[in-house]
Amino acid sequence: MHDSAVGEVLAGLAQAGVSIACYLPDSLFKPLYPAMDAAPGLRTIRVTNEGEGAAICGGVFLSGRRAVLVMENSGLRASVEPLARMGLGAGIPVVMLMSYRGEMGENNWWAVPHGITMEPVLGALRIPYRVVRREQEIRQSIVDAYELAYSSYYHTAVALGGEIVR
Amino acid sequence: MRRYDCMVSLAGLLTDELVVLSLGGSVDEWYTAAPHMRAASLFQQQLGCVTPEAFGLAVGLPHRRVVSLDTDGGLLFNLGILATLGNEQPPNLFVVVWDNERYQSIGGPPTHTASGRVDLAGIARASGVTEAHTARTVEEFAAHCAAGLAAEVPYLVVAKVSGETVPGIRRKHSDGREDKYVFVRHVEESEGIVIMGPSEHN
Repeated sequence: MHDSAVGEVLAGLAQAGVSIACYLPDSLFKPLYPAMDAAPGLRTIRVTNEGEGAAICGGVFLSGRRAVLVMENSGLRASVEPLARMGLGAGIPVVMLMSYRGEMGENNWWAVPHGITMEPVLGALRIPYRVVRREQEIRQSIVDAYELAYSSYYHTAVALGGEIVR
Repeated sequence: MRRYDCMVSLAGLLTDELVVLSLGGSVDEWYTAAPHMRAASLFQQQLGCVTPEAFGLAVGLPHRRVVSLDTDGGLLFNLGILATLGNEQPPNLFVVVWDNERYQSIGGPPTHTASGRVDLAGIARASGVTEAHTARTVEEFAAHCAAGLAAEVPYLVVAKVSGETVPGIRRKHSDGREDKYVFVRHVEESEGIVIMGPSEHN
């Protein structure tokens, strides 16, 4: 992931009014995590699994501040239970930014399941999402994800793939 | 020690705090034990989310005391939150764990704490939540509530309660969506902020 893409993510989060980021680090977003840690106005919280991060983000929503859950797309599977309970059961939204492991070009066997499951799992949870593979679309996609999450009071997701993360 | 008696004791100490609580019998008991806190309580129906949600709320409102009413089954579902609290050290979060050593809402099969070997307060302390204690009497519990509500570090008390539920208590009729709206409107009014505002006209 190039510094310019990291910058677009930070700019998108700032434009969307995000002040808290929960994350469980992964390799494709490797430079993003220290950049978030260092970003002015952004508090980062490292979590032990992505489901815990989703629940923390739900709590942040209830405070009136805006949070983001940043993770590899495998974290979506770890988050299904809290996402279903909070989103479908109570209308508490979580906005997710995830790296797209397992898409075309994947060269790790262990990441193949992430590509197979990501979009069907998002579909099963009826979570609107956008796969972004061009750097110039990152910022607006993040802003758009918050617009929809805060009008639907339901989760949204942005997956960064292609040359953005490779 | 009955959970309901502990709740009555805790409720008497609460005024402008926010509460997030877990599923099962504790929902109706808290609804009845703390009628003045109904709008200030987020009633959840999910294992493993209660303390993380309460922590997120505490991060978002650092000037406000947040109380998590979790359970043994709920905390065991996601012990990782204790490590997160140990590292983050939220100064305004008070966690109560109702430990009845069973999954009460489905009839009472034992949780891992029923063996007597699993010590949730010990796990919390080893995770960096140094103010983590176990209460076995209502008096002990009340003392920990007073300390936890005044603490400037995360404070956790495991309340070893019996499996009995108080008979004849009033049932809560609302679902998760209504509970969320009631809670959010309470936060908005008490904080003077807008969380769920009007739509744009465009």
